[in-house]
Amino acid sequence: MSEKVKVEISKELYEKAKKFIEEQGGFNNVEELIEFLLKEILEEEEETPLSEEDEEKVKERLRSLGYI
Amino acid sequence: MVRKLFVLGLDSMPPKVLYEGMDNNSFSYIKTLVEESARYLMRSCYPPITVPAWMVMFTGKTPGELGIYGFRHRKPGDFNYYIVNSKYIKQETLWSIASKKGLKVGVYGVPPTYPPKPLNGFMVTDFTTPNREKPYTFPPWLKRELERTVGPTIFDITYRSENKDKVASDLFHMLENHQRQVLYLATQKQWEVFLYVEIAVDRAHHAFWKYFDKEHPRYTEHPHYSNVIPRLYRKIDQWFEELHKKLPKDAVIVIVSDHGIKAMKGAFAINQWLIDNDYLKLKVNKDQLKPGTELKENLIDWEHTIAWAWGGYYSRVFINLKGREKKGVVELKYYEDTINQLRKDIEKIRGENGEKWKNEVYRPSELYPEVRGDPPDLMVYLDDLWWRAAGTIGWSSNYLPENDRGPDDAVHDWIGVFSIYDPEGTISSGDKGMIDITHIKDTLSEIVFS
Repeated sequence: MSEKVKVEISKELYEKAKKFIEEQGGFNNVEELIEFLLKEILEEEEETPLSEEDEEKVKERLRSLGYI
Repeated sequence: MVRKLFVLGLDSMPPKVLYEGMDNNSFSYIKTLVEESARYLMRSCYPPITVPAWMVMFTGKTPGELGIYGFRHRKPGDFNYYIVNSKYIKQETLWSIASKKGLKVGVYGVPPTYPPKPLNGFMVTDFTTPNREKPYTFPPWLKRELERTVGPTIFDITYRSENKDKVASDLFHMLENHQRQVLYLATQKQWEVFLYVEIAVDRAHHAFWKYFDKEHPRYTEHPHYSNVIPRLYRKIDQWFEELHKKLPKDAVIVIVSDHGIKAMKGAFAINQWLIDNDYLKLKVNKDQLKPGTELKENLIDWEHTIAWAWGGYYSRVFINLKGREKKGVVELKYYEDTINQLRKDIEKIRGENGEKWKNEVYRPSELYPEVRGDPPDLMVYLDDLWWRAAGTIGWSSNYLPENDRGPDDAVHDWIGVFSIYDPEGTISSGDKGMIDITHIKDTLSEIVFS
């Protein structure tokens, strides 16, 4: 289990998140929900640099569009 | 309470259509707003191309400061090129500033925003997105929501095709897809600033301009194709009317383009011209090459080559500089003289029948306060953009009646549009003259942040 740190969020948002979990389930507490959401965003973000294959696809498209 | 700002970006919309009636009243609703708007002629950047123009507009920085001179760039010494994406944009954008100020922002289709970056709001990336399997939204889960609600995103079409019926059908299909998504986002999500760029306008102009512009040198009246552009304008107009009626009454509406458009007179084979003028030497006889041959690294006799070029809406010329290029031959001490001579020679290029051309040739440092990234040695605009540059070789003439990349009716023009509709009258309406593309971000910031 990785080390934990404290993060402050607005009370209003915290209450909304708590209500969301009570109604929808899926998470034990607000901390779990926040951790999940941040992971979703940051892991997608890390994966997005263009691979060679992606770049080739874009080059081909730009060639066919006449930009290059 | 902050007033909402909705920006409708129409890629390549020229003033003669939006302001001067060339739309044949297809923009009947939008024009009622434009008549009540502060209307500017928008001077685009060097180069007036989608990338970098939209980012110049939304960062307020020149291409030199952004280090973005088009879609492709090359590292010194590398013949091959790389394509820029959102990760190359290091400057603050209107949406990143608004986000930090706590405003909710929606960004849709602004090139290049792929891969999407986090913001306080939502983003759907643009036509440079490799495909829809990629994460193309922020937040990432918006992609699923959008696809479930309004169907898979269509990023672009193939418009350089002789099958014009298919091009037209794809075009309207894509436009409708974007409009459904934007309508959904604009009405279901929270935002104070919404920036939407519609690329279908540019694609329609390139594919159908000769059927629309009666002054086109190859103007052709066609029972169907001549209606494509007016129909597209009407679809945008009707859709926008529907959306506008759903926005708060005091919302500020901006209609803007990144550059204008005009008839393409032809393409000039710039590398062939460099060969003819002893700047470029091939290892093979150019007359034996197939028309449209790509200038590949291994075709060039580097030991006897001074310069080579890229084609496009403008041409980028590179000097084979010793110490910088792999097989560079031009000594640094002769670099200035070489540049100056080449520039003079390009400026003297005339049309096929000896007519004078208005050619513009610049060194990047002459155009921008700062030159970052990987600039070319010279930037070349042929005959005031009427002629595009073809980088391919093997042609029987340097003057090609068509683009070397497939059918294309139009080239870009320097002047676009920028109109601000303020229903509260804080911004006075009327013709306001010229605004430089680099000043638009500050003008929009005043509306949003004041």
